[in-house]
Amino acid sequence: MAEKKLIQYRYRFLFEDGTEKSFNVALDEETLELVTEELKESPEWTKLKFSQCENCPLSDSVEYCPTALSLAGLVREFKDSVSYTSAQVTVESRERTFVKKTTLQKGLSAIIGIYMSTSNCPVLSMMRPMTRFHLPFANSFETFYRSISSYLTAQFLLLRRGETPDWDLKGLQDIYKQVNTVNKGMTARLHRATEKDANINAVVILHSFGDGISYFIESGLSDLEPMFGVFLNKNHPPQDKF
Amino acid sequence: MNERILVVDDEESLRLSLKFKLKSAGFDVDVAVDGEDALEKLKAKPADAVLLDINMPRMSGIETLTIIRQQYPQTEAIMLTGFADFSTAIECLKIGAKDYLVKPVDTTELVTRLRSLVRSRSTERALQEVHQEYLGFLAEDVLEPLKKIQTVLDQLGKLPADAEKERKKALTGAREAADVMEAKLKVLAQFAKEAAEASEGSGEGSAMHLIEQLKGIRKGGDH
Repeated sequence: MAEKKLIQYRYRFLFEDGTEKSFNVALDEETLELVTEELKESPEWTKLKFSQCENCPLSDSVEYCPTALSLAGLVREFKDSVSYTSAQVTVESRERTFVKKTTLQKGLSAIIGIYMSTSNCPVLSMMRPMTRFHLPFANSFETFYRSISSYLTAQFLLLRRGETPDWDLKGLQDIYKQVNTVNKGMTARLHRATEKDANINAVVILHSFGDGISYFIESGLSDLEPMFGVFLNKNHPPQDKF
Repeated sequence: MNERILVVDDEESLRLSLKFKLKSAGFDVDVAVDGEDALEKLKAKPADAVLLDINMPRMSGIETLTIIRQQYPQTEAIMLTGFADFSTAIECLKIGAKDYLVKPVDTTELVTRLRSLVRSRSTERALQEVHQEYLGFLAEDVLEPLKKIQTVLDQLGKLPADAEKERKKALTGAREAADVMEAKLKVLAQFAKEAAEASEGSGEGSAMHLIEQLKGIRKGGDH
């Protein structure tokens, strides 16, 4: 049997006191599913019924929340950490290495974002294609842009299949509403799993992207028009000055 | 003019999403990256309310709140935190925060609380104005005529027995002052009755109406 091809990200957190913590994230290159090792023990807060998300579509036969399980190891490592702790975070992928001096919450939100969207949660799996083009430490505008680009790519692929695409991005806003319900549910779980705010705030950062996307679609996208002038003015080229 | 809100959080994405949400709800919004930046921003331009993250580097949200309450008592504060902690919540409320919300914050709830906060603040200001107007009424429209009557009574006691003309003049003056006072007090009594009835719909609008009525009474007209 052919061996699975993997996409791997290695996250290293180097703190000002010299301590370091590393995490490897492996995804199936084809399906973008998280490839995980079996956990030795599953904490109580990872059970599906423990503060289950309001919109969870999983049946009662599922014992553990797949997203909570995927986060358990990381959460345990940072359960006593403060969100604004300074860290140098290095992210190595096959193509490149990212290094940034940032806050722990920002570094954690990047890796938690991968874990959550690839964890087999039916709601969060809509975000999975974005992980193929993972951009650690992205600011809000970069994330909005990647998110919209990813969604429009999906719509184009639907069009090519003869299906009806959603060009006005209403579906994307609906997806983020659902995703944010899960993000909120996850912060409720994390309140029971942590002593300080680093893990929770990392998820709150992800939630804030979902909160801002509607406004960005309605107002922020228009601000990008000058950048796309070469496309928008194609049929109305500016008058020759000479 | 829209109410001005200052969002203080060390995380860019949270500042931006709160700014987006509050702007679309009709508020004027500015942002600050930490406590020191917040104090600078307030110095440059006061805000009706601040949304203040508790866990921030350099100056914590609680330290920032303490300074804001001392230097900008007109600015209300709502505290935001990722990690809910009962004792911290109590501490914030004791220092003077009006609310304590756990992130991620529900937009509708936040907007409702902010609107209620700035509305009650406006009402408070308007009621203070009613109070000032009322004190002015007592001093100028009640105590002054009363003093005039007392002075006349004193003068009457000192007049010689044959000074009938002066006595009549003084009594006429006293009578006029008493009539003015009586008329104003009657209007005030009626006003107090109506104000009590109107207080069921209390708020900034009602308070502003009371101020206008009081001003009308003081000018001597009916209300």
